[in-house]
Amino acid sequence: MKRLVFSLVLLALAATGLVRAETLQIDGSTTVGPIADAFAEYFMRTNPGLEITVKKTGSGDGAAALIDSRCDIATLSRFMKDKEFKAAVDHNVFPVAHAIAMDGVCIIVHPSNTVTALTTAQVRDIYKGNIKNWKEIGGPDAEIVIVSRDTSSGTYETFHEKVMNKEELAKNVEYVNSNPQAQARVKTTAGAISYVGIGFVDAEVKALKIDGIQPTKQTIANGTYPVARPLFMFTNGYPKLGSTVFKFCTFYLTEKGQEIILAKGFVPVTSY
Amino acid sequence: MKPGIRIAIDKIFTVVAGASVVCLCLVLAGVLGPMLWRGGSAVVFKGTIEFRKMQLVLFGRGDEDKIAAESRQAEIARAKIYSTIEKFKGGIDPENLIEKARQIYRQFGNDLRQTNMSAEDVAELRSVTRNIRDRLESAFASSNTVEVNESLAYVLNFKDDPRFKNTSAAGLIGLAEQYSKDIHGINLAERQRYYQELRQVEEILVELLGPAPGSATPALMMNRFGATRWDLAQKLLGQLCWYEEWIKQGPGQPMVRRLTPRSQRFAGTEMEGLFTYIQQNLPEMLKPRPTFYWQYFTDDSTPGHYFGGVGPEILGTLLLTLLAMLFVVPFGVISAAYLVECASDNLVIRIIRMSINTLAGVPSIVFGLFGLAFFVLFFLPLFGAPSKGCILAASMTLAVLTLPVMIRASEEAIRGVPQTYKEASLALGASRFRTFVKVTLPAALPGILTGVILSLSRVAGETAPVLFTGAVALGPMPKSIFDPTRTLSYGSYDMAVGDKLAAMVPHNQFGMVVTLVLLILCLNAVAIVLRSRVFKKLAGH
Repeated sequence: MKRLVFSLVLLALAATGLVRAETLQIDGSTTVGPIADAFAEYFMRTNPGLEITVKKTGSGDGAAALIDSRCDIATLSRFMKDKEFKAAVDHNVFPVAHAIAMDGVCIIVHPSNTVTALTTAQVRDIYKGNIKNWKEIGGPDAEIVIVSRDTSSGTYETFHEKVMNKEELAKNVEYVNSNPQAQARVKTTAGAISYVGIGFVDAEVKALKIDGIQPTKQTIANGTYPVARPLFMFTNGYPKLGSTVFKFCTFYLTEKGQEIILAKGFVPVTSY
Repeated sequence: MKPGIRIAIDKIFTVVAGASVVCLCLVLAGVLGPMLWRGGSAVVFKGTIEFRKMQLVLFGRGDEDKIAAESRQAEIARAKIYSTIEKFKGGIDPENLIEKARQIYRQFGNDLRQTNMSAEDVAELRSVTRNIRDRLESAFASSNTVEVNESLAYVLNFKDDPRFKNTSAAGLIGLAEQYSKDIHGINLAERQRYYQELRQVEEILVELLGPAPGSATPALMMNRFGATRWDLAQKLLGQLCWYEEWIKQGPGQPMVRRLTPRSQRFAGTEMEGLFTYIQQNLPEMLKPRPTFYWQYFTDDSTPGHYFGGVGPEILGTLLLTLLAMLFVVPFGVISAAYLVECASDNLVIRIIRMSINTLAGVPSIVFGLFGLAFFVLFFLPLFGAPSKGCILAASMTLAVLTLPVMIRASEEAIRGVPQTYKEASLALGASRFRTFVKVTLPAALPGILTGVILSLSRVAGETAPVLFTGAVALGPMPKSIFDPTRTLSYGSYDMAVGDKLAAMVPHNQFGMVVTLVLLILCLNAVAIVLRSRVFKKLAGH
């Protein structure tokens, strides 16, 4: 035991004396996390010696971490809130947003559902509990099982703002904690409806047209699909040109960066 | 009570107790069995040539020449697929044409920069050309004949525009002319269908066999290899050979799924025979072989745990657990000793006891937030360390979390030491401290070790306390206790909520969970062996 304590203390002492490799800490959203992960893989492969850590504890924690200077880059699936901005400035942190990709929130149903298109008003009515059966909107005779993301997620916030107009959801809504869960629930339940990021739409669920517009990479990128949102990286001030943080935050502009964003199921921000 | 009834009650008790033990075992087997089975498939499975290639690239493992030879053989078997698709695609793929149009547009933009036109003229010309390109692209992509003709007519309007004469932009108009000839008399709707289904086929093929030869190397490791496992390959083969569609029934009825063989969908084209060929020759193309991937427990992984193992997670979990034990055992034992040996039964002590009991019931996320506020934001900066989550902060948080358990167990253990032991020691003239260290503590050790076992399991499996204090989803191997680390518990959580990747690699998800269970089992086994040794020593053997 004594020897163990001794060696641990030695280890700790030795480590503080070591020359540290360059590190980059990224905190924040579970949605943007996978992009940061993938960027990190590429960066660490092309820059040996660079160490990147990624945490996925939610957009709110990302903002808090940036305010406390616990991270170099905060990933957020929504824009920073007024309160967070104020807190940041109070801590002498000046958040700068980099919109690195777009994400469409797709309304999904079971593939056996005959409904292929809804209007935002109809979706709102479903989530408010005014429409209870699919046959009321031209679907099969089946009760609607309403599935929503938890209210603390950025996906919920986007949906709540853009579709629900910030109105309250019905009491019988089922809340799930993650995109994969929402997708799995719809995949296995014939009458279910939910919403997930476009990366989670596959052959096992069906994304609905909203207001006549099919969610695709094009319609999300050019803003015609109504329930889309940008995904952000936030830094304290604009990063020093040429620094690793700068390269990381502008990586989405490169061809490789866009390829990665596409591979991760998001929509790159481009205009060429 | 009559003896007969007593015996009957005894028997019933025995039967009920036995039955409940059997039930417990069944439930355990029911829960753990499938989990172990599926988790085990992360280590023991049929690995394909893609798996061996991946191992070579990522970890430098395996015989390079052998793998190269094998993959050449596989490529020979695969070659037919790509040549067939290439042939079929030539006629129907708008993507190529769109890419050509974009290239011409880019070239034209570059050329414009070289000329000495005024900036406004250049801007004007560019926007006109962009319009042309966009209309051309929509013509290529559309399957509506009217729309296509409209778009093409728009583009061909510029045919005699002097601004484009002898510039690279004339290529766009050339493309339009060629295309309007090509599609003359072709059923565009059918072409569109073929095109879409071919895209599907190609996507599945990329997942099955890796990127097509000649295509650019993908930026991410996960896209560089095909199916690394035979079970995954089988699943993809199913998707490849069967086309799924949902068929409408009467009004008010849900749609039903219908599977058609893919070869039927491509009937009458070169593609028709391809699917049987793939079905028959898949083992040739992937060369599956039973694989025992024990390095799963030591390997690093690619982001999202797509490839590789859980090495850093195991190391991190062990470090956190042992360090937390290092903090909690002395504190726990000392507090317990105080509570038993020194404290009298007054109000303050009762409040302390109550607090300890309450602390044991506090949800772990509260400890996590406490750890963030106290250790990370306050304690570490006091000593000049950066205020960032790290192993030290996380293990201290875990120590606080499990302190009540430790105190209670040690208290019971110390209290359980027979009074006569202490009295004998004191009678021999030993001081109270010496008595405690030399007599009471060794006698209480087995009970304290029980406390350690209970705390170990709790600490190793906790996610919430480390979430904010030192766990990361992705990061290098920790070099010191001031680095954050990956852990098995947080890793499992991350896989479950984050990415869509987890759904593609369920074996890794189960693998990680099973590793956590096994790790706790091993730690406990060590502690139990230790305890039985102490027992034996105490018994005087």
